[in-house]
Amino acid sequence: MKVMMIFDQTQAGLGGKESPDLPMGGKAMGIGSCEMFTRFLDQQGGKVIATLYCGDGTFLAEPELNAKKFAAMAKKFNPDVVICGPCFNYANYGIMAAKSAEAISELTNIPAFAIMSQECEKAIETYKDKVTILKMPKKGGIGLNESLSAMCEYAKMLVDKKDTAEFLEKHAY
Amino acid sequence: MDKLEKILMPMADVLTKNRVLIAIRDGFLISTPLLIVGSVFLLIANFPIPGWDAAVSSVLGAGWTDWFKAVSRASFNCTGLLTALGTGYAMAREFKADKIQGAAVALVSYFILMPTIHTAVRDSGEVVEDAIFAGLDFDYIGPNGIFMALICATLGVWLFAFAYKKGWTIKMPKGVPPAVADSFAALVPSALVMGVAFLVRIVFSFTEFGYFQDFVVAILQTPLEGLGDTLGANALYSFMCTFFWFFGINGPAVCNSVFFIGNVLTAKQLIAFEAGEALPYIFTNPFSNFFCNFGGGGSTLSLVILMVTVCKSERIKQLGKLSIVPGFFGINEPIIFGLPVVLNPVIAIPFILVPMMNLILSYFATLWGIIPRTTGVNLPWTTPIGFSGWLATGSWRASVWQIFLLVLGLMIYYPFIRTLDKKYLAEEAAAANESSEEDDISFDDLDLDNL
Repeated sequence: MKVMMIFDQTQAGLGGKESPDLPMGGKAMGIGSCEMFTRFLDQQGGKVIATLYCGDGTFLAEPELNAKKFAAMAKKFNPDVVICGPCFNYANYGIMAAKSAEAISELTNIPAFAIMSQECEKAIETYKDKVTILKMPKKGGIGLNESLSAMCEYAKMLVDKKDTAEFLEKHAY
Repeated sequence: MDKLEKILMPMADVLTKNRVLIAIRDGFLISTPLLIVGSVFLLIANFPIPGWDAAVSSVLGAGWTDWFKAVSRASFNCTGLLTALGTGYAMAREFKADKIQGAAVALVSYFILMPTIHTAVRDSGEVVEDAIFAGLDFDYIGPNGIFMALICATLGVWLFAFAYKKGWTIKMPKGVPPAVADSFAALVPSALVMGVAFLVRIVFSFTEFGYFQDFVVAILQTPLEGLGDTLGANALYSFMCTFFWFFGINGPAVCNSVFFIGNVLTAKQLIAFEAGEALPYIFTNPFSNFFCNFGGGGSTLSLVILMVTVCKSERIKQLGKLSIVPGFFGINEPIIFGLPVVLNPVIAIPFILVPMMNLILSYFATLWGIIPRTTGVNLPWTTPIGFSGWLATGSWRASVWQIFLLVLGLMIYYPFIRTLDKKYLAEEAAAANESSEEDDISFDDLDLDNL
């Protein structure tokens, strides 16, 4: 299973709240917080083939165009699935992830989904009916391992075209 | 590890979701900024430079320190009162009662349970015959009153909210302004809480303690203060704070709801410092902030310095450069998630070990007089290394000690970050080999029309 990640500056390991202006970029490998869920991805036979990143401020300056750019890049790399997240409770990253997942699902044939905590209210409210948004705890919250494991499991289910209805009932907004 | 997680998670869940514990934790947060500002005023009055007092006196005149001490006294000599108010407010918020009414009723029940009529005493200690006066006593509304404040705020507001929910309120007809209706709605619940406090006061007047607060101080606060100033209790706290992070859980957020004794010790230390008395405690908040963790939880400043100086992986170097300035101010969020520290077994080991080592060594260094005790001056936790040690103790030796610990931290982090560095280097090399193109992805010449 070839996986593509979409990260903000913090998850990419390229800064924190003080660097929302990070330009869009990427690496043809797993970087930053990928280390958190490598073991769960291994269990599903998955590997991160590319990580795309963008500062949340940069993204939100032109959300339509930037989401399109992510979609075009996904098409170029042609992974089996794109994971937009984990966003924790970073609200702007939540919007970026949900918007990007929507664009990728609409403009390409590659399945994509987002994952964030309930604190990302605006993103969840706006996008939950358009794209799948999985649940996870806020930063420092309880149940991170479990949610990252579920994230990888869901990616695999999408790639294998399995029935996800029951899974989503439990794990999605 | 998975088994351990199954045991720890429900525990963390209870500690972070229990409404009373949340209220206690947040109640202290309300008074924190006031204590920091009060500390700064006291620090100015006692700035750790020889000849400071004389120099300022020559400009402002003798007695200038009294102006500053008035501000510090109004904050940390009132920590009990502020705790009753803050925790009462947070309790009311958690239990969905009127917040300001909840805070007020907590405060009033707190006052009911303490002595408010005092006999006048001369400086010599001699009691003045027939001279009685009424008022609030700093001995009771200060740090000695913190536990009593917590009891009044939690039980009092719980009872208050309970009466509210049961509908034991006086309801006003429609058309009465909401503010008036709210104040009448609080009447019966407030009467209930104040009535209970009244009865408790009477009961304790027949005991040897005389007052409920003296009882709380004797059987609860004093023993817990003793326990809170031991190496064992603080080592356990330090371990739990970092260990929870390993599972992605914010350790201090979990532990601070039960381990809040540092707030009490800090305030009492400050009062002793202000009075020029011997400093009673070692484990104050400034001690744990400035001698145990440099650069945030896990004492990650050492880690970030290694990331910049000795690591070869491009990713680690880049993240190190970005994190070093925030690191000096105690902020490590970029590396917690970006390196990452969270769910990373390699980094977990030094992340737990280094703060523990700092804690133990600093404890003995204080005990053996290598560094002085902290004065209790409650600086913001973002105060950079070097300055923080000096200002927290008044001695440059403490700054040197901080740098010494930082260097020891480098040694402990070194083998672990090198392991991670080698792993990342191998990954970067593999990625470069696999893809014929550069491993950097560029969006510059991306064709959007293809979609």
